[in-house]
Amino acid sequence: MKLLEYEAKNIFENYGIRVPEGVVINNPDEMMIHLPGLGPDVVLKAQIDVGGRGKAGGILMSDAANAPNTARELFSRTIKGVPVAKILVEERLPIEHEYYLSITLDRSSKQIMILFAETGGVEIEETAQKDPEAVRRAIVNPLLADVPQFLLRSLTGSAPKEISTVINQLYHVLVEKDALLAEINPLVTTKQGVYAADAKLILDDNALGRQGITVNRDLTEREKEAELHGFSYVELAGSIGVIGNGAGLTMATLDLIGQLGGHAANFLDVGGGAGRERVCRAVRLVAGMPGVSVIVVNLLGGITRCDEVARGIVDAGVDQQVIVRLAGTNETEGKRILEEKGYLMLDTMEEAVQAAVEATE
Amino acid sequence: MIFGDKTTGIIVQGATGNQGAFHLDLMNTYAREGGGRGVVAGVTPGKGGLVVHGVPVYNTMKEAMKEHDAGASVLFVPGRAAGDSIMEAAHAGIDLVVAITEHIPVHDAMRAIAFAGAEGCTVVGPNCPGILSPGEIKLGIMPSHLFSRGHVGVISRSGTLTYEVVDELSRAGIGQSTVVGIGGDPIIGQTFADVLHRFEEDAETRAVVLIGEVGGHLEEEGAAASDIPIVAYIAGVSAPPEKRMGHAGAIIEGGEGDARSKIRRLEQMSVPVASKPSEIPAMIRNLL
Repeated sequence: MKLLEYEAKNIFENYGIRVPEGVVINNPDEMMIHLPGLGPDVVLKAQIDVGGRGKAGGILMSDAANAPNTARELFSRTIKGVPVAKILVEERLPIEHEYYLSITLDRSSKQIMILFAETGGVEIEETAQKDPEAVRRAIVNPLLADVPQFLLRSLTGSAPKEISTVINQLYHVLVEKDALLAEINPLVTTKQGVYAADAKLILDDNALGRQGITVNRDLTEREKEAELHGFSYVELAGSIGVIGNGAGLTMATLDLIGQLGGHAANFLDVGGGAGRERVCRAVRLVAGMPGVSVIVVNLLGGITRCDEVARGIVDAGVDQQVIVRLAGTNETEGKRILEEKGYLMLDTMEEAVQAAVEATE
Repeated sequence: MIFGDKTTGIIVQGATGNQGAFHLDLMNTYAREGGGRGVVAGVTPGKGGLVVHGVPVYNTMKEAMKEHDAGASVLFVPGRAAGDSIMEAAHAGIDLVVAITEHIPVHDAMRAIAFAGAEGCTVVGPNCPGILSPGEIKLGIMPSHLFSRGHVGVISRSGTLTYEVVDELSRAGIGQSTVVGIGGDPIIGQTFADVLHRFEEDAETRAVVLIGEVGGHLEEEGAAASDIPIVAYIAGVSAPPEKRMGHAGAIIEGGEGDARSKIRRLEQMSVPVASKPSEIPAMIRNLL
């Protein structure tokens, strides 16, 4: 789950990383109360989960006198389709230099990876492409409580010493908050010290519970409902509803729909042990999406009982046509149940997908 | 056989749970049919002394290892305790842990994999269907009736998609040496590169089917680091960016790890890439 900038900054601050003075406002009027504490110049930052926020008009500079009007302007904007509901208003730092710092998990080494560059800011991706050497990299064994000094030295080069402290503090954030990514870009130096001018933090969805988070905000309402049933679910824009078991097989089903010229409405992985009730709920959930005109069910498993799955599909009793590919135990019985009720059951996923695409043409 | 054979004794961690007990029995049935040793012990803390499907259960890995000669453990322990159980197994001296469990917090898995490595123990998974070497050993939950013995290795991040491909291969008369589900999480104990190296050393394996999906770059890195003949298939060409497609690791992030770029890089290395699972048997036959 992605945290918003101000939430990430609150956490970073708890770990000793300095952040600019700032307040979060929910409407332009709240600005007046907080202004006196923020100095002559302020930065207004839309609190939205959108990449390239600055370039898309989500960050505005202002002097204190104009700040309420600037806030009004920012609240009225929609940034890449996302309305602005919260603004972080911060003091404007007298920046001397910008650095880039990112800590993430490295799939290849199966360890923690720290990236640091002496030139940070919005152009970091271009910098990395033009001059890969400019982004220094260190791999840290996750059994270590702190980042070793020799690695910190190899990362920071000629950067001020305080930066090493920040790297270690951010390492603790990543580990203790169960984060997949902790990033500060830019990490800035001023005469007063080192500050996190921006903050990014993505938490591990499998650890939200022990971090005290009960609702994953990244999910849409229907995705949340699906998660309650133990399904993995992603909304797409097409007309063919898709239900599969296993992430890979379900993705392969979507891909086949695309190759045959169709458009999938969703990705739904019912998970292991697809029984009667689960299948019934899955079919109803997908049928309830606007624009779904046909549903493909593609279930393959050694221990999946086809007769149970077939009963689940019949129980759902949805209006749309349901085309089924089932392989597992009791296949013949499953086929009999479905065909008796007029459902189409096919032997391979290609046949099933073909039939679904034809039904939408 | 790259992770075990008929002579490998198996311990099931989480043996008294529904999943653990069910698959313990299936693994033993498979061993009996093929003359393998099968599951020699189960471990569940607090349930020592019980017998599950004829297999004695112990409180700790240490006790189980003291009483039985075992080379691999298959882990069904629930997410929050699973990382700890992997470390317990490694500390007790087991050579291989196959972690079936899904939803292990990724930092737990990463620490457990690092700890196991330092103890000389290999971890496969987590969030995987396990390993099956037809006629030799089954370590996990794969439906064995779809498999047949032969000379093609299979490595996959997925479960059911692997069964789909194995089914296609078996129907086409192409048997498998070992099929390895490496897991759908972002951090896994054995990557494509690790398993490909094992296949290179394996006299039984002549070519490998590599089944990948969106997220990360392990597929391309594996293919680049290996010289065994490979046919690849990558799922998720239609996956939208920044959305987790069922697996914790199946996500296109910051423009990285999409299926088309993986396919392009594999093709640049002259690795043939199937556009759908049914194309794989004919393509792999060309390499045998």
